[in-house]
Amino acid sequence: MAERPSTGPRIEIDKDEVRRDLMKLVLTIVELLRQLMERQAIRRVEQGDLTEQEEEDLGTSLMLLAEAMDELTEQFGLTPADLNLDLGPLGPLLPRER
Amino acid sequence: MSDTLTYVYAIARDVDPAVVRGLGGVGGRPVRVVAVGRLGAVVSDADRAEFEERALEERLEDLEWLAATARAHHHVVDTLGRDHLVAPLALATVYFDDDRVRAVLDEGRATFDAVLDRLAGRAEFGLKVYARKGGRSSTATTERAASGAEYLRRRRQALREGDSALDEAREAAEQVDTAVTELAAASRSHRLQDATLSGTSEPMVLNRAYLVPVERAGELAALVGSLAEHPRIRVEVTGPWVPYSFAQADP
Repeated sequence: MAERPSTGPRIEIDKDEVRRDLMKLVLTIVELLRQLMERQAIRRVEQGDLTEQEEEDLGTSLMLLAEAMDELTEQFGLTPADLNLDLGPLGPLLPRER
Repeated sequence: MSDTLTYVYAIARDVDPAVVRGLGGVGGRPVRVVAVGRLGAVVSDADRAEFEERALEERLEDLEWLAATARAHHHVVDTLGRDHLVAPLALATVYFDDDRVRAVLDEGRATFDAVLDRLAGRAEFGLKVYARKGGRSSTATTERAASGAEYLRRRRQALREGDSALDEAREAAEQVDTAVTELAAASRSHRLQDATLSGTSEPMVLNRAYLVPVERAGELAALVGSLAEHPRIRVEVTGPWVPYSFAQADP
């Protein structure tokens, strides 16, 4: 079996690319979960089955999560539009607008 | 067995052979007219190897081939449509040979006549309606929410506004459709295109084709023009086209 070259600019660039793509995928999934949780929280608030304290805690957690997402996305040079998958006939994974 | 099939582009009445002389069709083959009485089919030879059923299925997945074929097809139909009333046929309509085309023209004379009569003096227009982004003044506060509850309230409002904006756009599009349908002799719905295909990030809410009498085209333009400033929707009109969407033989 041929030995893989351990150095070389080409490999380095590919590694970064792979890392960025993987991060993009991870962030996409986290963003999907975040949006689902947010909608679920809003529905529960609308139904009124949360105490004031619970509502406050839930809202704070979601707000911090949204901020963390924004930071991470920016850190990896991505935009919210990048965190979306085109599912063909099913449309996009996430709504186009947050 | 000959190694060519007869590719039919369109059916028309009283085709002047001079119009198609020198015209290149699919695969660059010369275009000619096969006539029965006043009805004429505008045809060219086509490679049997390319258009036979099995081969064709494969070819239709080859986008480059498909684009070239569609362009050639459209060029012939469009040239003919400039001074003839035409019923365009679907892409890649092939018959065994010219005799078969003659037989089809002869058998279907009444149907073709009915289709041509329906298309006479009318042209196809396409209407695409998109929901405008943002829409109403969604109070976009950029500063951080003061509390968790406040954050939830804002998100709830933003989501709601997004939903209702889309609903209102759909409603507005329906009204446009009703108004245009009054001008039109017929209309047909097309699939809504996804944003990646339509090339805009605004969601499409209406995609229809209308068969409009030529003398009412001005009214259509005026109607669409009056909607230019609509707060909810953006209307795109294209045409006049050769009536591809209306050349079917149904009533």
